[in-house]
Parts: sequence; structure tokens; C-alpha cells
Amino acid sequence: MAALVRLSSVCHRGVSPLLFRSSSLIRPLAIQKKDQDYPYLISAKIHATPSNYAGSGSKAASLHWTGERILSIALLGMAPAAYYFPGPAVDYSLAAALTLHGHWGLGQVLTDYVHGDFKIKMANAGLFVLSTITFAGLCYFNYHDVGICKAVALLWSK
Amino acid sequence: MALLLRTVARQGLCSSRSQFGILYRHAVPMGTTAKEEMNKFWTKNTRLNRPVSPHISIYQWSVPMLLSISHRGTGVGLSSGISAFALAALVLPESYPYYLDLIHSMSFGPQFLAFTKFALAFPVAFHTFNGVRHLIWDVGKGFKIPEVYRSGYVVIALTVLASIGLAAM
Repeated sequence: MAALVRLSSVCHRGVSPLLFRSSSLIRPLAIQKKDQDYPYLISAKIHATPSNYAGSGSKAASLHWTGERILSIALLGMAPAAYYFPGPAVDYSLAAALTLHGHWGLGQVLTDYVHGDFKIKMANAGLFVLSTITFAGLCYFNYHDVGICKAVALLWSK
Repeated sequence: MALLLRTVARQGLCSSRSQFGILYRHAVPMGTTAKEEMNKFWTKNTRLNRPVSPHISIYQWSVPMLLSISHRGTGVGLSSGISAFALAALVLPESYPYYLDLIHSMSFGPQFLAFTKFALAFPVAFHTFNGVRHLIWDVGKGFKIPEVYRSGYVVIALTVLASIGLAAM
């Protein structure tokens, strides 16, 4: 018993805090005989994916992350493409890549700052509408007007 | 239980050796997901109208912190600009060259035009270069603190140079 108290006072950090929670410091020795009956008294609470969750979108977040990075790299490549090969192909690719990159980026901002089930749902719905309008507008501009590459070139020619 | 304690004592208490293998024998998974836990936190604390402890108003700002929030700020700003442009394209009656000529006819001075180009190029350049810095982190490189600062300064320098270069074009 005294040994246990000495242990806890000397070293609070090194040993896993799971075992030496302040409330159960003295208890472990006392319940060593009843360990089999009450295992949860000294058990760790962990966030483990229960087996019944398996498969239902478990890789979705990871794939989304990878998709975001791949899109970023693609967008990076479109900058020199727009300068050296301006035209409808780059115009529409840029429209798609810019809209999606912005949509995913703003999505992360919302995830960080918006809390509460209803507010999250509303904010994401609003974002979806905004991104749809953005893509529609850019495609309209590409089709009926000069296009993104030419627009930048004209703007800079002043 | 006593066996476990003796094992711990023998291996040297103050070492930070992971002994989780032994401890998970009694691990109990929680019934809620991390997302649910976070939602529970926010609903309870907003319901009780609890104030948030000061954090960004008291913590000393550092260059990496500034660059990080600027990356987010330029991202949101650029995205808003693109969305505004797209909306204008849908709503406004005339074509792009028409409005461009309108601005031409207002005959702003060359310095003002150069400054406008600089102001447009700056957030694009910064977000691009800092974006590359993020991608480098994503492959696992450059996390040591001196490296974080160094890459940050490189981003700032490249941004200024690129913006000046683009404004001069």
C-alpha cells in the first residue's frame, strides 16, 4: 500500500495515466482480488470503431483528403497551362478545378467553425448552392464570353 | 493486478515506455463517435451560455500562425472573388470587354493600375506558394520548427517577388 502511494507520488507522467487516475490511485491494490468481477473500474475508455460500423464510409474521409491534395496539384499545373496554352480546354478545366478546390476548402472552414447539427446542415447546403452558381457562372462565361484565360490576359493588358 | 504493478516497477516507472499492450486487456470502446462527442460539447456549452476562454486574444502571435490564418484568409477571399465574378457573369447584361473598356475609359494613372495588379496578384501568389508549403508537409517533410520558420520566410519572399513581377507585366 505504501509502495503504491510512493509510486504515484514519484512518477505521475511516466506510467500510463489510465492506471493511475487520481480517483483510483489507492484502489487497485484493494480490488486486486475482485479484478475479475469489476474489470471496468480500471479500464480505459477508448474511441474504437465498433465492428458494426465497419465498411460504412470508413475510408471516405481519407479518400477525400487524398482527393483534395491531388486536385491542388492539378490546379498548380493549370497555371502554366493557362499561360502557354490558353483556350477552351484550359478554360473549362480551370472552371471545374477552381470551383471544386474552393468548395472543398470552404467546406473545411465550415467544419472548423460551425457547430450544431442543424447549423452544419444549413451551412453546407448554402455552400453547395454557392458552388453550383459559381460553376454555372464560370461555364457561362467560358461559353458566351471571352473565357477565363482571355479575361485575365485582357485585364492585364491595360 | 499486483503482478502488473510489479512489472511496471521493474521496468522503471518514469520511462515513457508504452505498455498499452497489457492495458488494453481492459479497454472498453465508447458508445459514441468522436463527432458525437464534439457535438455534445458544443450543444451543452452553448446551451449553458458559457463564455469561451480567451485564446487568440492572449496568445503571442508567431510567424507560422500568421501565415496559417493568412492562407485561410486568402483562400476564402479568392473563393469569394471567383464566386462574385461568376455571379456577375450570370447577372450583368453586357459582355466582359464592354466592362473592361468602361474601366479603361476612366483613365486611372499607371501607378494605380500597377498597384491594382499587385493587389490582385498578391493573394494568389501567397496562397499558391503557401499551398506548396502545405503539400510538402503532406508528404511528411519540413516539420522541424526551424524548417517551419525557414519555409515560411521563403514563402513570404517568393510572394513579394512574384507579385512585383506579375504587376510589372
